[in-house]
Amino acid sequence: MPGLGLSMGITLTMLSLVVLLPIGALLLKGATYGLPGIWETVNRERVWAALFLSFRLSLFAAVFNLVFGVLLAWVLVRYRFPGRRILDAAVDLPFALPTAVAGIALTALYAPNGAFGALAAGVGWKIAYTQYGIFLALVFVGLPFVTRTVQPVIEEIEREVEEASATLGATRLHTLRHVILPMLMPAALTGFALSLARAVGEYGSVIFIAGNIPLVTEIAPLLIVIQLEEFNYDAAAAIGIAMLLISFAMLLVINLIQVWSRRRIGYV
Amino acid sequence: MSDAVTLKFRSATEETPLARWVAIGIAVAGIAVLVFAPLLAVFAEALTRGVGAAIASLANRDAQSAIKLTLIIAAISVPLNAAFGIAAAWFITKFDFRGKAFLITLIDLPFSVSPVVAGLCIVLMFGTNSLVGGWLVASGYPIVFALPGIVLATMFVTFPFVARELIPVMIEQGRAEEEAALTLGASGWRTFRTVTLPNIRWALLYGVLLCNARAMGEFGAVAVVSGKIRGQTATMPITIEMLYNEYLSVAAFSLAALLTLLALVTLLLKTALELRHADQLAATHRA
Repeated sequence: MPGLGLSMGITLTMLSLVVLLPIGALLLKGATYGLPGIWETVNRERVWAALFLSFRLSLFAAVFNLVFGVLLAWVLVRYRFPGRRILDAAVDLPFALPTAVAGIALTALYAPNGAFGALAAGVGWKIAYTQYGIFLALVFVGLPFVTRTVQPVIEEIEREVEEASATLGATRLHTLRHVILPMLMPAALTGFALSLARAVGEYGSVIFIAGNIPLVTEIAPLLIVIQLEEFNYDAAAAIGIAMLLISFAMLLVINLIQVWSRRRIGYV
Repeated sequence: MSDAVTLKFRSATEETPLARWVAIGIAVAGIAVLVFAPLLAVFAEALTRGVGAAIASLANRDAQSAIKLTLIIAAISVPLNAAFGIAAAWFITKFDFRGKAFLITLIDLPFSVSPVVAGLCIVLMFGTNSLVGGWLVASGYPIVFALPGIVLATMFVTFPFVARELIPVMIEQGRAEEEAALTLGASGWRTFRTVTLPNIRWALLYGVLLCNARAMGEFGAVAVVSGKIRGQTATMPITIEMLYNEYLSVAAFSLAALLTLLALVTLLLKTALELRHADQLAATHRA
C-alpha cells in the first residue's frame, strides 16, 4: 500500500505540533517548577475548594445524565410517538451549540428575573449564581454522552432474550432490571465517564451562570484563567497539571471500563 | 382482526401503556426544559427590542470583525484538521504497526483535556516568556494574543473530530478495493482519489461538519490565547462574552442567535446525513 511515508509524516508532525508539544510545554513548566512548588500552589484553600467543587458538581451532573440518558435512549429506540425524530436530533444540540451561547442562555432563563428563575424565586429558590446553576450547566453540556453510547446497544438487543425472560415467568419490570439493564451498563458507564470528564474541564457554559464567588461558586478552570490574567504562569501551570492528572486518571478509568465490558459482553 | 387482539393483549416484551407514556413524558419534558428552553431564550432575548435592533447590532463594526475573524479561523483550522484526519486514518487503517492503540489514544487526547488547559498549554509553548515564543515575537511573528495562537487553540480542541469519524469507517471497508486498484496499475494518489475518497466522503463530511461547529463556537481555549483585543483577536464567542459583561444584552444575544442558527443548520445536515447515508457513517453504524 502506498503513502506510508506521507501519511505517517503528516500524522506525526501535526499531532506533535498541535497536541503533544503544547502538552509537553505544560509538563516541562511543571517539572521546572517542581513537585513541591506545584503542591504549594495547589494546596491552598481556594484551589482545593475549586477542584472539589468542579469534581463534586460534575459527578452529580454525570449521575443525573446517566439516569436520564438511559431513559432517553430507551424511549428513542423502543417507542414510537409523534416528534420522536425531533427529540432525537435535539439530544445533540449541546454538542453543536457553542458553550458561551449555552452559558448566557441558561443564565437568562434561570436568573431571578428570567422565565424559570422567577418561578423558582417564587418558592424562595435561587438557581443562577449558585451551585444549582453550575449543576444545570454541567447537565446541559454532558446531556448527549450517555444517550449516544447506549442507543446503539439497545438497538442490538435481541428480542428473543426478552421473550425468553417473559416465558420463564419474569414480570416486565424484572426483565428490565435483571436482563436489559446489565446489558446496557458498560455502555452507560462509558457515557457516564465521558460526561464526567467533559464536565470537570467545562468553562464556557459555567462561568456566566456560576457567579464565580471564591470558595463558593468558583470552578477550577476559572482559577487557571485568573492566574493567567495576572501573568502568574507558574501557578496557572500547577493548577493545569493537577487538572491534567485528573483527566488522565479518568481516561484510564474509561479504558478500563471498556476492557472490562469487552471481556464480559464482547463489544462496546 | 389482529388489531383488536393487540389492543387487548400486550406483548410480553413491551411495557404497559402507562409506563410507556410516563417515560415518554419525562423524556420530552426533560429535553424541553434542558434543550428547547435555552434555544428559545437565545432568540427571545435577541429580539426583545425587535428584529431591527438585533440586525443593527450585528452590523456594528466589532460584531462584523468578530464574524470575519471566526470565519477566517474556521477556514484555516477545519481544512488542516480534515487533512490530518484523512492522513491519520490512512496511516492507521492501511498499515500494520506496533503502538496503533496508543496512537489512537493520543489523537483522542484533546477530548479529555479541558479547553482552558489546552489554551494554557499553547500560552506556555508560544507565549513571550517561553523559549520558542520569545524568539518568534522577537522575529515579528507573535503567536499568542494573535491569529496563529487562536488557530492553534482551535485546532487542538477540534483535533480528533475527522480522524475519529474516518477510522472506524475505513477499518470496516478494509483494504481489498484499494489493493485491487493498485494491482490494476493505478497510482497511489489515483487509488485514493477514485476508490477511497468516494467510499469515505459522507463520513468525511460528517466529521468536517462537527469539527466546523466546534471550531466556530470554541470559547474556553480561545479565551485564554486570544488576549480579547476588540476588533483584532475577539472571535464571535469572545465578543459575546464581552458584550454580555457590558450589559449589552441585545447585541450579545444577537451574535449568539447567529451561532445558534449555525448549530441548528449543523444538526439539520447531520440528521440528514444520518438518515440518507447511515451505512457509510461510523456514528450510526456498528461493525
